[in-house]
This record gives sequence, structure tokens and C-alpha cells, in this order.
Amino acid sequence: MKHKSVTAKQERWGWLFLMPATILICIMSFYPIIQALFTSFKTGSSANMKWAQPIVYNYTRMFSDKLFMRSVGNTFLYLIIQVPIMLIFAILLAQLLNNRDLKFRGLFRTCVFLPCATALVSYSLIFKSLFATQGLINSILQGLHITSSNINFLGTAWTAKMVIILALIWRWTGYNMVFYLAGLQGIEYSVYEAAKIDGANGWKTFWNITVPLLRPTIIMTFIMSINGTLQLFDESVNLTAGGPANSTITMSHYIYNNSFGQGVANFGYASAMSFFVFILVAILAAINLKVGDTRD
Amino acid sequence: MKKKLLSVMLVGAMVASLAACGGSSSSGGAAPAAGDSTAAAVTAGGEHTLTVSAWDHNFNIPALEAAAEDYKANVDPDFELVINEVSGSSDVETAITTGGSAGDYSQLTDIVLFQDHYIQRYVADYPDAWVPVEGADIDWSDFGEEKLSYSIIDGQHYGVPVDNGTAIFAYRVDILEEAGYTLDDVTDCTWADWIKIGEDVYNKTGKYLLSMDGEGNDLPYMMLQAEGASQWKDGEPYITENETMVQIINVIVEAVQKNALYLANNWSDYTDQTIQGDMVAGVMNGNWIIPTIEQVEENSGKWEITNIPTLNGGGGYAANGGSSLYITSNCANVDLAKDFLAKTFGGSTATYDKALTDGGVITCCISAGQSEVYQAGVDYFNGQPIYTDIVEMGTHVPVVEQNDYHYSCRSLIASAIINIAQGGASTEDALKEAEDQLRFEMGL
Repeated sequence: MKHKSVTAKQERWGWLFLMPATILICIMSFYPIIQALFTSFKTGSSANMKWAQPIVYNYTRMFSDKLFMRSVGNTFLYLIIQVPIMLIFAILLAQLLNNRDLKFRGLFRTCVFLPCATALVSYSLIFKSLFATQGLINSILQGLHITSSNINFLGTAWTAKMVIILALIWRWTGYNMVFYLAGLQGIEYSVYEAAKIDGANGWKTFWNITVPLLRPTIIMTFIMSINGTLQLFDESVNLTAGGPANSTITMSHYIYNNSFGQGVANFGYASAMSFFVFILVAILAAINLKVGDTRD
Repeated sequence: MKKKLLSVMLVGAMVASLAACGGSSSSGGAAPAAGDSTAAAVTAGGEHTLTVSAWDHNFNIPALEAAAEDYKANVDPDFELVINEVSGSSDVETAITTGGSAGDYSQLTDIVLFQDHYIQRYVADYPDAWVPVEGADIDWSDFGEEKLSYSIIDGQHYGVPVDNGTAIFAYRVDILEEAGYTLDDVTDCTWADWIKIGEDVYNKTGKYLLSMDGEGNDLPYMMLQAEGASQWKDGEPYITENETMVQIINVIVEAVQKNALYLANNWSDYTDQTIQGDMVAGVMNGNWIIPTIEQVEENSGKWEITNIPTLNGGGGYAANGGSSLYITSNCANVDLAKDFLAKTFGGSTATYDKALTDGGVITCCISAGQSEVYQAGVDYFNGQPIYTDIVEMGTHVPVVEQNDYHYSCRSLIASAIINIAQGGASTEDALKEAEDQLRFEMGL
């Protein structure tokens, strides 16, 4: 009897400690989410919003919005190209830097992780100046006589997309590598020794031991990367401003343009598009979890 | 021991930065902290105090300071103008739209400054946020008609103009001469002739005759206005069926392909690389671009300004940009605000002269544009009295139909031009796409 009351007391204290964070999350996150859901069913200027006629107007509207569809296309292009490349790089780097015999391991790890410490806006602006028509990359290419005239990287649709993908890989590979490194620490060294005794080479060890044992980490990084890429904003805004001719605009950037850009303040439509992104993230994460599920 | 020391240092650093943050938000620091002055501004409401939001330290803020000084010296010695510095026109616009959604305009200053293209929409969407300046002692006939057309809604005046958006076409006369031309050749000329000159100038000197920001491309709008035409008809987009529009797009594309016109990737490339980086022999934009041109001191005396070419020749006149002051419903002392605006930007030579010398703000008030300060020759422009010239040019700008979706239209047409010039899309298809998307955005 007494034992139970102690547990109850502990639970009460537990709830008490959780309270401040819970209340804050409710006020700062859940309440706005619900409000945004209501807003997404409304139209009109921000001062005078009315329920849409029909109620799903904003949701059906986005599918006939060519610009929004283009932003979805762009985002998925970034996702499909960038995420696999980045994760493969991350896992290879983690494997390299996990080597016990490597000298200056700490230094290298820090170097690879360092891009993550840069603010998104700053690194976007740096990439913008690197790839400007009179930027460093053009100077180097001309100095090495690879090209004869300035390439307008950010003014041509496909190169602008490549620059964004390159920037994303630079910024996020180290971040994902840290998760893999942590995962690798959890793998017993004796497993590798056993594999070595059995005559497995580096490649075989990697595919048959490292990858399967890292599976939970890989799934987690996948979900995080998909989530992050679908919400891509800073690079699109600061690096290319969505240009040229909206060929690099992302979903979040388009949503922002509809709420605060060009003075239109189309909050209803913008909220509806945000929920579309939310649903996309949920679906992709669910698929990912299903695929990664090893239970029968 | 070492670890302990390190953690103490870390905690110390965190506390210090926290204290620094707290300090700056409560005391304001040396820099004009926006949040601080808003709080002071909104609650001030004294008999002799007004608050205003503006954004450009080198342009409209000196103009407002000049007005405050003028009013203080000549009307009310106790007058005080509190300027709430924001980072751009978009800050003011966001404050209005978010204020509208919260149903609370109490964060707006007594008077706000923002770009002309929005006021029609804002009065329609947020009617209770504004107070018309009717009843103020202002001679409206003394202002350029085109400028006023933005801020008259249902016959009521809502705004008092600050600057003048009259477009200029400035040329580097030395480069023109190098290619065998004079300023007369590009004055009152046709766009077809202009492109030929541009081609020559590029081939002989390696400079483009004109540049523009390719994303926020203001050329189609200004060129159309110079023809007296609009991209709007009865409140709807008028693009694919507008022959003048199609011709103008063709001119722009041809100019790009023949290296007469360079489209920069963005605004900073436009100003820093093309204008200040000496890539061009000409600049066409609202006259607020002049301070940007003047940054390059070694080109002093080499520039001169003239009017805009047209499709059929004869000088064209247009305007681009510019802003006005509007009284908000949050203003507790509307009479003072009206009196202040009337006796300063309503036509005071003292205000406008000082605004010009301190901030380079050019008036669209006709009588104020005839002062001695305005008539003086400007060394940078080879002694040309450009300010009187610009005020005079401003009176020729035709009034054309405007629309709230001006900026959406601008960026869609800009995309169309990029697609035609770069991707080889046909003019017809690209403009059709732009028009469809614009109609979609407008919900038509």
C-alpha cells in the first residue's frame, strides 16, 4: 500500500516537472497548428477572412496552381538527388573517421561537422558569392583554362539547381555523419575482428556488418533528411531567390511568398499549402518506417 | 580542476550573453532599436509628438528629419517627430497585413511610409486602418497627376507624396562618344534605333547600353507607361492580346540577344556589378537610382540624363517606384498629423530643399521643384540641372491603369522574359503562361 503511494507521489512530481514544457508546447505549437487548420479553410484578406466556398477551395486550388506544382517538383528533385548522395557520403566518412589507427581523428571529425555550425543564411550568401558571375568559382575555372567566359551559374535553371544541391550536401553531410559515428560506436569491435578472421575484405564488412547494424540510424537520418528537404527554405530564398524564372523555388518559399511576399497576404491559401507539406512528410515518414521495419 | 574551470567559464559566457541580450532589448543601445522606439512611439501620444515608420537611412529618413526641422522652426517649436526605423518597405507592409489578421493596429505608428502600389489594396482590405488626409491644407494641383493617382481612392486623398518616381534614362556620354554617338542620338529615338546603337556600343566598347534586374524586371512596366499603355484593362491582366505589350517584350528579348541589354540575376548584381561595376553605358529606372550611380566617384561628369525611347520615336515618360506617407487609424492626433504633412511635404520649399541635399529625395511638388537648390547644375551629371529636369519630366508621365497585383505581374512577366531569352520559349507561349498564372493568382 505504502509502495503505491510513493509511486503516485513520484508520478505527481513527474507531471509537475513536465508541466511547464507541456504548457509551452500547447501554447506555442499546438494552438497555432489548430488555428492554421482553420485558416486553411478560409479565404480573403487577413483582416476579413471568410469560410471558403466550397470549404476545401484552397486545397483543390493548389492542384491547378502551376507555380505550386513546379515548387513541388523542384523540392522532390532536390530530395531525390541530394538525400541519397549526402547519406552515402556521410556513411563513408563516418566509416573512415571511425578507424582507430587514424591520426588527428578529432580534428577531421570537427572539420567535417563544422559546416553545420554555420548559420543557414550565412552559408547561402557565401555560396551565392562563390557562384556569382564574377565569383571565385568562375575565376578559378578561367584561371585553369577550363572555361573561357563567365558561366552564369545562378542565372541558368539547371546549374542553379545543381548549386543548391551542392550547397545542401556541403551543409548537411557532417550533421548526418555524426549520427552514423554514434551508431558505429555501438557496434562491437570484436564483430569486425571476427569478420576479418573469416577473410572478409573492407567492402564486404561494410555491406554485411556496418550497414545492417546501422539500419535504425539510417532510417532515422532518412526521415530527418526528407523532412528537412521538404521544408527547404533558406537556400531557395537567399541563394537563388527562387530564380531564374522560379525554376529553383521550393514549397516553403512559395508558401512564404503567398503570405508575406509581394504584399498579397494570402494566409488561407498559404496555410492550406503548409498542410499539404505536412501530409507529404507524414506519408513519406510512414513509408520509410514500413520499409525499415525488420519485424515479420 | 581544468574541467571545473572550463565549465565555470562556459556558464559565465552564457550568463554574460543573456545579460547582453536582455540589456539590448530593454535599453535600446546606441543603434536605433526598432522594438524600443515602437514601444515608446505607440504610447507617446503627446500634444506635439508624432511617430512615423520609414526605412532608408540615406534616403527617406533624412527627408523626414528635414520636414520635422522645418515644422519645428516655422510652426510648432515644441514639435517632435519620432522616427521608427524599419529595415524596408516590406516591414511596414507586413505590420499592416499581420495587424489586419489580428484585428489590432495598435502597433502601427501615427504615420507610415510605404510603396505606392499597395495603398489601393490596403484601403480596400483594411479600411479601418487608415485616415484620409482630406481637409488638410494642401494644393493638390501642385503635384504630378500620375503620382497622386495611386493614393486617391473613391475621390479621397489618402497619401501625401514624399519622393518622385519619375524614370530617367542616364547615359555615359563618354562611352557613347567612343562608339560614335551623342546624347541627341538616344533622345526621342525609337527602340529599334536604340538597339542598333546598343549593338554598336557593345561591339566597340564592350559595355551594355542598359541593364536591369532580371527577376524584378521593371522594364516592361516603364516601357509600357512611356507608350501610355498598361498591363491592365478593367481590372484584369491585359497581356497576350495587348499588342503594345507583345512588341515591348520582343524589343526586350531582341536587346538581350544583341547584347544591348544585360539582365542581372538579382537586385544586388544589378546595382553592384552592372552599374557600379562599370558594365553599362546607360541606366534606366526611377530617379531614386541616382544615388547608386553617384557612388562611383571617378565617373563624375560623364553621365547625363534624358527621356526614354518609345516604339515609334518621340520621348517617353514613365515612373517607377516611389512612396507616400499615410496616416493610420492608430494616430491619436490626426489634426496635428494633417497639419504637419500639409506644411511640410504639402509644398514647403524648406523641407524639400533639405530633403534633396541630405537624402537625394526629389519632390513631385511642382512649385517646390523650382527653387534655387533644384535649379543648380549637378557636377556629377556634367553640370546638367537634373533635379528641375526630373520634376518637369514628372509632369509628362501619363496616368495608366494600376492594379494591386502589380508585383505579381512584374515577376511573372520577368519569368516569361527569362524563359524566352534563355530557354527559347516562344513569346506567345511564355506570355500566355504568365497571363494564366496571374489570372489564377487573382482568382479570375
